[in-house]
Amino acid sequence: MSDVARVLDAFSEVYGCGAVLWLRGAEAIEVAATSGGDVTPPMIELLGDDETVRSRDTALGRQLVARIPGRTHAWLGIGPVADDDAEPRRWMRVLVPVLSQVLQSQWEASRAADELAERYEEINLLYSISEILGRTVTLEEATRTILLEVAETVGAEYGALFVHDASSGLLRPVTTLRVAGALVPLAIPTDDPLSVTARVFRTRHALLVNAGVLESDLEAPFRQGAMLTVPIVWTTPEGGIPLGVVCLSGRRSGASFTAGDEKLVAAVGSQIGTAIQNARLVRATLDQERLASEMRLAHDLQLRLLPDSRVVAPDAICAARVEAADGVGGDFYHLFRLGDRRTGVLIGDVSSHGYRAALIMALVMSAAAIHAQTTADPAETVQALLATVEEELRETEMFLSLCYVVIDPVAGTVRWTNTGHPHAFVISAGGEATRLAATDPPLGLGPEGLHGDSRPWSAGDLLVMFTDGVSDARDARGAALGEPRVLDVLRARRRELPSRIVDGVFALVEGHMGRMRPHDDQAVVVLRTA
Amino acid sequence: MSLQVIKHGDVVVVEVDGQLIVGNRQELKQRVLDEAEAGARKVLIDFAKAGYIDSSGLGVLVSLAKRLRELGGDLRLANLNDDLQTLFELTKLDSLFQIADTRERALESF
Repeated sequence: MSDVARVLDAFSEVYGCGAVLWLRGAEAIEVAATSGGDVTPPMIELLGDDETVRSRDTALGRQLVARIPGRTHAWLGIGPVADDDAEPRRWMRVLVPVLSQVLQSQWEASRAADELAERYEEINLLYSISEILGRTVTLEEATRTILLEVAETVGAEYGALFVHDASSGLLRPVTTLRVAGALVPLAIPTDDPLSVTARVFRTRHALLVNAGVLESDLEAPFRQGAMLTVPIVWTTPEGGIPLGVVCLSGRRSGASFTAGDEKLVAAVGSQIGTAIQNARLVRATLDQERLASEMRLAHDLQLRLLPDSRVVAPDAICAARVEAADGVGGDFYHLFRLGDRRTGVLIGDVSSHGYRAALIMALVMSAAAIHAQTTADPAETVQALLATVEEELRETEMFLSLCYVVIDPVAGTVRWTNTGHPHAFVISAGGEATRLAATDPPLGLGPEGLHGDSRPWSAGDLLVMFTDGVSDARDARGAALGEPRVLDVLRARRRELPSRIVDGVFALVEGHMGRMRPHDDQAVVVLRTA
Repeated sequence: MSLQVIKHGDVVVVEVDGQLIVGNRQELKQRVLDEAEAGARKVLIDFAKAGYIDSSGLGVLVSLAKRLRELGGDLRLANLNDDLQTLFELTKLDSLFQIADTRERALESF
């Protein structure tokens, strides 16, 4: 009443008479505030229910009393005033509305506090759910606790929480309350015409159905009489996206669910919707991170499968490099010392990249290590390789272009089998590039029976092989680097160390691509015999 | 890449406009398989408007050729530009396909 007291004090100071405010309490009318002057409590009969200003004469002078309009039962009295009370009555007409406004504000504040106190349990529920959802990443962990809390608050004994599985079009039960094991509810198709759960999901509107209304066998395990069903919605700037449904039933009090219950459960549904979406985003991020991590591991593993180029020393000096477009790739090379100063060099390109190509590559690498040591005939080696990977290639619809070269500097020959690999050359000391032409289509595409070819090999000759990721490297306008420019670099650097030549080719490729990412794996092998 | 299918008698001509690469190869494959399912046995793929085929695209062509041959038909190619012609020669894929300079010659060859 401090605001009222201040108003009364101000009035008394200005008009020089006392003022009093009476309020009807639970049992009697009581003085709520006074100021200055001598206004004694009026006779009860003086306090009318209308807003008429009433007067009475006392030993101290005349007093005026009026009812203050509003929800609060209050009266204002002032006095003493002059017998001619026309002027004081005008004061009353000013003061009464002011007090009415003050009392109305106090009444509203009091009601809000009462309502807040009444809704404390529900607010506490929402707060608890926020806490539960905030500290969990796995939605399944949280849903049972949430359903229990909601059911407790609205007094429901039975409940079920369904989440929509977009891939199957089903509402799948995530958790239930008081449902016997044998009666675990089945998934509900979202287009089920009889299910209240499905209907609420489709319409995105809560539904309160009474006992005996819209009963469905699918909902029998968690429905007991009336059922309150509310959608779980994820709200976006474009609108709400339904993610699931909460069903509550079997109210302990036997009374119907109220509009307040519906609003409360809808608020919880909205929180769960946000939590589901967050959990899905977290899960997707974790999956992506795990995949990226696995790809890095696979890339490292793949690089370790490639041999050290020094394995052919001292018969030959070699340098090689593979750059994978997708973390793991399908380009590879292998090097073999075959005895009698012969050197075997294999370069290959699986017709794809990524995991499947890397698996084929790993298979070929391990098989090549075995077969290359059993024969010095490239065609026989590649035929054995084909036998190893043929079924895998057929099942995956991939194919494999490779070139396997055996250099015999003692005999002065180079023999090869080339299954559709375009970029294999011998560059002479004089700078002439001779292509080691394909002898067969790529492995996995052609008919059975592989062929071989040969040509002379001279001291000072350079063997260079690269994959189409090098010659097809694209610049920002989409233009390919082209084989001739690669050969120009190879010819120009033919007298340099193989490692410098490989560096020169990749510098050309990187200069051509600029900031573009490679769309295919890139491999280069350069070798000269000692 | 876009595809246009035209029928010349009992030959189905598929015009490829653009690049045949890993991202769209299945589109060509499905289109030709749909035609085969509908009874087509002679298929000509016209590359007059195609500038590039990557290794995955080549794989699809071979796969389709095998399928049609299994069904008693054939897949033939026409109008490869110089780069594509060279690619087929360098990879020996020209030994797996009958390739014609023009669509007319390809149609006559069936």
